[in-house]
Amino acid sequence: MSLNPMHQFEVYKIGPEINLNGINVSFTNASLFMTISSMLILSLLFLGTKKKSLIPSKIQLITEMTYMFVAKMINDTAGSSAKSFFPFIFTLFMFVLFCNMVGMLPYSFTVTSHIIVTFVLAAVVFVGVTVIGFAKHGIKYLELFVPKGVPMVLLPLIIVIEIISYLSRPVSLSVRLFANMMAGHTMMKVFGGFVISLGVLGGWLPLGFSVALTGLEILVAFLQAYVFAILTCIYLNDALNLHH
Amino acid sequence: MKDLKEITTRLKIAKKNLETKEVKNEGSNAASFGKALKISTELVAAVLVGSIMGFLFDSWFGTKPLLIICFFFIGVAAGIINVFRSAKKMNKNI
Repeated sequence: MSLNPMHQFEVYKIGPEINLNGINVSFTNASLFMTISSMLILSLLFLGTKKKSLIPSKIQLITEMTYMFVAKMINDTAGSSAKSFFPFIFTLFMFVLFCNMVGMLPYSFTVTSHIIVTFVLAAVVFVGVTVIGFAKHGIKYLELFVPKGVPMVLLPLIIVIEIISYLSRPVSLSVRLFANMMAGHTMMKVFGGFVISLGVLGGWLPLGFSVALTGLEILVAFLQAYVFAILTCIYLNDALNLHH
Repeated sequence: MKDLKEITTRLKIAKKNLETKEVKNEGSNAASFGKALKISTELVAAVLVGSIMGFLFDSWFGTKPLLIICFFFIGVAAGIINVFRSAKKMNKNI
């Protein structure tokens, strides 16, 4: 057993190495746990909608609650005009939530603790929102970078600042999720290591901490998925309803 | 049958709640919490993006230390503006 707290984030390939035009597309443990998360989501939604009874069973209730939760979130933050983006935001929320939650299981791998995964998700959101903004408002979308009531002298500086502020959106979105997941899992592993190295005599205190941290991590796992989805809604709202 | 009627009315109320909400920036408590979490990384991200942009421009134009310094400070300004905006938005909703 490895006591290195960073060992849990290691990506290794499962099965043979596959090369596609020089790009390594081997099946790794990251892909395995993404597949597991997607399968869990699919089976939950499939089982929940299989038997549509008036008095819902437990699994149907869970499915309906997640649906209502996301629908209400979109309505509250992005307005009714964003309703057509419900499938995308629901998928995003469920994927991040299940990846975080699956990562909480012992011996599993947290996909969202890798910045490339979260950054790709954030980049999809960023590019999508920009395309939607331009499709809806045309060239007028660039007005987002020009705040009202700024003197002409300051305008070049302000536009650069606004562009940097706009470009920082995907970075802050991805870094937040990645940093929270990685820090939490490292901390849990460190405290777990203390339990072993302190032994029967002194190991009880870090053991208690580990239990508390597990609870905290489950909260963070849910909260970060929620924040990721709600920020997507906020950015979507900015693109759909252009105003500062 | 009475139960069914009750469920129908409840459904109607729930649907109405969903439909009548118009575009508004103030959200529930949870939405404000999301905004609060947003603030913390907003500052760092803008500084990071500004510095990376400065570094890239430097290596493109060959003006090694000059642009990264400028863009670092512009990034700081962008981060402060981000935080200021989020805070203002939250302040408006209270």
